[in-house]
Amino acid sequence: MLLFLFRRLMQGLVVMFVISLISFSIQDNLGDPLREMVGQSVSEAERQQLRDELGLNDPFLTQYGRFITKAVQGDLGTSYFFKEPALDVILGKMPATLELVFAATLIIIIISVPAGVYCAIRPNSMLTRAILGISILGISVPVFLTAIFSIYLFSIELGWLPSYGRGDQLVPLFARWETGFLTSDGLKHLVLPAVSLASIMLPLFIRLIRSEMVEALSTEYVKFAKAKGLTKTRVYFLHALKNTMLPVITVGGVQIGTMVAYTILTETVFQWPGMGFLFLEAVNRVDTPLIVAYLIVVGGVFVVVNTLVDLIYGLINPTVKLAGGNA
Amino acid sequence: MKKLVKSLAGIALATSLALSVNAASLKIAYDSDPVSLDPHEQLSGGTLQMSHMTFDPVVRWGKDHGFEARLAEKWERIDDNTMRFHLRKGVKFHSGNILTANDVKWTFERLVSSPDFKAVFPAGTEVKVVNDQTFDLVTKAPYPLILNSATYIFPMDSKFYSGEDDKGRDKGLLKKHGDSFASRNQSGTGPYIITERQQGVKVQFERFADYWDKKSPGNVDEITLTPIKENATRVAALLSGGVDFIFPVPPNDHDRIERNSDTDLVTLTGTRVITLQLNQERVEAFKDKRVRQAIVHAINNEAIVKKIMKGFATAAGQQGPKGYAGFSEDLTPRYDLKKAKQLMKAAGFEKGFTISMMAPNNRYINDAKIAQAVAGMLRKINVTVDLKTMPKAQYWPSFDERAADIMMIGWHADTEDSANFTEYLTACADADSGWGQYNSGNYCNTAIDGLVKAAGKETDPAKRTEMLQQVERELYEDAAYVPLHWQNLAWGARKGVQAEDVVNVMNFPYLGDLVVSEK
Amino acid sequence: MSLLEVNDLCIEFPSRHGIAVAVKGVSFTVEKGEVLGLVGESGAGKSTVGNAIIDLLSAPGRVAGGKVTLSEETISGLSSEDIRKVRGRRIGFIFQDPMTSLNPLLTIETQLTETIIENLGFNGKQAFERAIEMLKSVGIPEPELRIKQYPHQFSGGMRQRVVIAIALAGEPELIIADEPTTALDVSIQSQILDLIRTLCKEREVGCVFVTHDMGVIANVTDRVAVMYMGELVELGTTEQILQRPEHPYTQSLISAVPRTDVKLHRFPRVEYIEKAETKAIDVKNHWLGQREDFGELKGDALLGGKTLLDVKNVELKFETQSAFFKKNRKYVTASDNVTFQIKDGETFGLVGESGSGKSTIARVIAGLYKPDAGSIEFAGRDITHLSERERMPFRRQIQMVFQNPYSSMNARMTVNDIIAEPIRFHKLAESEQKIRQITADLLDHVGLGQKSGIKYPHEFSGGQRQRISIARALATRPRFLICDEPTSALDVSVQAQILNLLKDLQDELGLTMLFISHDLPVIRQMCDRVGVMRYGTLVEVEETEKLFETPQHEYSRKLIELMPRVDQLSRAGLDIEEHREPALA
Repeated sequence: MLLFLFRRLMQGLVVMFVISLISFSIQDNLGDPLREMVGQSVSEAERQQLRDELGLNDPFLTQYGRFITKAVQGDLGTSYFFKEPALDVILGKMPATLELVFAATLIIIIISVPAGVYCAIRPNSMLTRAILGISILGISVPVFLTAIFSIYLFSIELGWLPSYGRGDQLVPLFARWETGFLTSDGLKHLVLPAVSLASIMLPLFIRLIRSEMVEALSTEYVKFAKAKGLTKTRVYFLHALKNTMLPVITVGGVQIGTMVAYTILTETVFQWPGMGFLFLEAVNRVDTPLIVAYLIVVGGVFVVVNTLVDLIYGLINPTVKLAGGNA
Repeated sequence: MKKLVKSLAGIALATSLALSVNAASLKIAYDSDPVSLDPHEQLSGGTLQMSHMTFDPVVRWGKDHGFEARLAEKWERIDDNTMRFHLRKGVKFHSGNILTANDVKWTFERLVSSPDFKAVFPAGTEVKVVNDQTFDLVTKAPYPLILNSATYIFPMDSKFYSGEDDKGRDKGLLKKHGDSFASRNQSGTGPYIITERQQGVKVQFERFADYWDKKSPGNVDEITLTPIKENATRVAALLSGGVDFIFPVPPNDHDRIERNSDTDLVTLTGTRVITLQLNQERVEAFKDKRVRQAIVHAINNEAIVKKIMKGFATAAGQQGPKGYAGFSEDLTPRYDLKKAKQLMKAAGFEKGFTISMMAPNNRYINDAKIAQAVAGMLRKINVTVDLKTMPKAQYWPSFDERAADIMMIGWHADTEDSANFTEYLTACADADSGWGQYNSGNYCNTAIDGLVKAAGKETDPAKRTEMLQQVERELYEDAAYVPLHWQNLAWGARKGVQAEDVVNVMNFPYLGDLVVSEK
Repeated sequence: MSLLEVNDLCIEFPSRHGIAVAVKGVSFTVEKGEVLGLVGESGAGKSTVGNAIIDLLSAPGRVAGGKVTLSEETISGLSSEDIRKVRGRRIGFIFQDPMTSLNPLLTIETQLTETIIENLGFNGKQAFERAIEMLKSVGIPEPELRIKQYPHQFSGGMRQRVVIAIALAGEPELIIADEPTTALDVSIQSQILDLIRTLCKEREVGCVFVTHDMGVIANVTDRVAVMYMGELVELGTTEQILQRPEHPYTQSLISAVPRTDVKLHRFPRVEYIEKAETKAIDVKNHWLGQREDFGELKGDALLGGKTLLDVKNVELKFETQSAFFKKNRKYVTASDNVTFQIKDGETFGLVGESGSGKSTIARVIAGLYKPDAGSIEFAGRDITHLSERERMPFRRQIQMVFQNPYSSMNARMTVNDIIAEPIRFHKLAESEQKIRQITADLLDHVGLGQKSGIKYPHEFSGGQRQRISIARALATRPRFLICDEPTSALDVSVQAQILNLLKDLQDELGLTMLFISHDLPVIRQMCDRVGVMRYGTLVEVEETEKLFETPQHEYSRKLIELMPRVDQLSRAGLDIEEHREPALA
């Protein structure tokens, strides 16, 4: 177990190192950060001087070497825009993103499990057809449209829910974590972005759970469970569902990692002050230290999520031993 | 009872404590928030908007392109090179310190050390303190735009910004990048104090109780500024009542905001001109005046304004908009396809040629669409355009390299004056003086440069106007560049927010004077 | 009054193309304490009958007619809730594969106690005690400890014991056992069969024993019902069915069973099952016969009777638990100092239970695994450490036929392309036309007919697919064929045909074969010499007949002793090999 975690940590470091190398090497193509920092009348000579001060004119290896030396000490550079350590900026925005992803995940679980199971048990009912039909539609509608449409409907026309941001009734949890989960205002602000974000993955999960459940229902052990004289409820929700969840957790874990990336769009539309929105802004402002740091952090998040998924998988599946590389 | 209330209100008004009676709070959504709390760090719209809220300038632009007295209650020209300003008495900074001429001098010296702001004043300009209440702005040579430039002086609290902060750095340190005391702390004389700031998320303002301008009608005691980047989200926030005041409003949403019974649309003719530059060094044909004219005649910029900008712009024939010194009524857009074809034929390019063109796709309103329309129009005179549009982050480095034969550039004169356009966009490129820094067309006409230089020293407004009008006319006839339009400005406001009274073409609404009535 | 009476049972599977009748008018009875064998080949409908009794037909199957009574109570046509009460409580069910019939994510305790609680109405504590008792009675050692474990911590045989314990947990009157030992190794199979039989007799429980295996039938049943194409064709005592089958189908089925007592030259034709006409080819003049005389292998190594394949001291370990430090890693030894020779033209058998390392050796020979130590010599040349390029000619000469042909075929290729692939890969034919001709001949030769070349693998039955994979293996004109459990997935009559085909091909083409199987009777029928494997070591190598008559090693003795005997089978019309004529009974 410890060895497993140690290996994962090592893998994570390698992943982050590679990401840093790649993102560092493409940063010149992202644009000129100086343009976003100075006014229009600043001369080229003065801009060059600023570039020198920032070390942007040094050769790639010098710059990267400097970056890595600092990165080892936990310093991923200083954001041009925020003038704070990039890592601090990102970690400061992370709670908002994590809360959004968490809420979306919750929505996905609450909806997709019953819907998927229902579709598997009643393959021919009208409701199943409706769910599967809508889910196809859901896959093909871009999240941007879903988001704009829901803002229009629920904020402007009906006036039920706020259209942007996290609201101003956040409750401090610890350190820089302020949560919106504890006030009704915070929860209201969470609804639309979380639903929009969830809508990207929901169809996939319903279909995944349905097909895995269909598979589980056709297994010998489910048939055997029926032959034992067990009730339908126990057969479906203990014997079949538990096995259904194994692949769902594996795929789901990866997808939830991917969802962190999808937050870029959702957060932008809803002005959600999280990491995704921050990243898009950083790209617009050519805030290269922030961009590089974001990519590294997201790489780290992926590693953490995958590790968690494997741990949960190991908890549910007794046949898996978390030992080493091929675990 | 009613009487009592009325009389109480009367007393309140009389004592200028209007705030306590119908004080309002306001939620604003702009497309960005100020980069820094330091007024000298970056010359941008966001910084100036903030400066007008938390600092106050010596003088400011009025509605009629004139000047309004702010911290200086009056000023007079002493000689060709000197303007004397008399400060108001008893103006308090947020820290409680009293404003003196020494604060102005300190601020001015800081301003001219800033790479972004120093070009606002001619090199060598000085502030001379006469007494606590009086100072002189002295230029090396006669300078007609001294008041324009003075709108950039937002006196800072020199005592507050002196000494060392907890990290041992000078509190007045002006740092272009990275952390500094001034980028996080403020003490100005403006109507608002910043109480909370989460960069990129929100800025919270509170009315400064000791604000000097007791006559200001403004009744907003609390402002929350949220940057909302996405156009659709910003408009939705206004329509759903989440915010009270937004800028900018994209042309497509004007109708929606106007039609909505709870919101108003406020528009102003803008001063930012959008132009195309024809690179004479890259394309031999562009050296021929007839070809340049043909291109100007081939582009139907009135149609662009109508179709693409939805009327939310003013088609331009010259650089400076109406109200600026160099503006002439008769320099109008001149779309004429027949004439364009004739000119091409006369120049020997009847069969046309192929050129490259670049434009940003997220800098100006509908920039990429405009570029596509232009490319389509040029095809009619057999000029094939290889168009590339890109995000501004990549566009600016390309622009600096002069990477295409035609490039798009929009310009707003920091000095609110005609000469500034020519200095940066159409003057002969000169790295030393910085002239022609944005002249990707490499157009060079020393006679015009001479006229602009002379206008820079001419203090007689009538003569200066004549000179600048001549500059515009010659550029027009020479087809030195392709004028497209001036971008309009549009704000959306909840009904009851009397935004019309405080907005201006420079896009720094004087929110201190804003009156908001109940919803 | 019988315990179970099945009367005129009809089962249908409606589909878009009409209604398929799976079971037609089947009637039989089972008495208390009696084991009734329900035998037949795949598709005969025997499992369907078992499932129909407790209403567990897979969709869209349905009972179309007939009546089932249990202790004079009708249990056909009950509501789903009523039949649920019959399941587990009155009829226990044992499935074929213990690996899949237990839920991998639940402990044995959960799976056993839920059955007891549901059927006997015990509380948790009582149920736990009963569960321990049950495990003890089916012979699970240390039940208190094992009950907390998960299925994967049990061996196959132990799992099947658990399944039997669960089936008996509700104290049912009847057990339906659906191929309960098919997935198990020989030694475990006999234990399980004993267990089922003993339990039935002791508890006076009736049993419907569904199987395709005549050996099993001979060992465990009192009476046998033979099914063919959904109909019950013959019903009689076990002795009568095995020794004096009356129905022609029963006769041909019995004749196809690989015998444990004598070696046959050929299995008799099983006309009832699959009509396949192999077309003899004059091999001498045919492409197949013109082996590119081993251009790379010259000399007298090729003469018949000499050693073609020499396996010397092969060792191979697999890492089962990786670790950063070498000393922490755990390995399983798949082959430990294995040495044997195969002579040109002979069939060498490798027999052993699952996990004994037989397939590993096959893969080492085929070059799919590299041994940790030892060497493989083919025709006098060491091929252990050849590069991919150097190995090419040997790949052509050494071909494999796998247990499950379907998974080794690309489902999107036509049979023609599947067979032509190795010809194209090794560039054995000069033109497409030639290739087409060769594949057509091969298909004729393996008895599929050249017309089947344009079809896709899924259009064929298991036996036909195995023919395709044999044709593909032959397409490179190999000298050496490795058959890894080639008939394990097939019905007995189809198996007989495939084994016949292999024998024919060997005779015609002079192939040398390595024949791997866990099935001792099959080994006896196919091989000239046999190696017995256990835990990665080769315990004994002997000529086949000698091994079966007088096994030397203790393990070989045990294996042969435990194999289900069908000694009393009818011998009518068999083609018994003359040169080794044991005394006929």
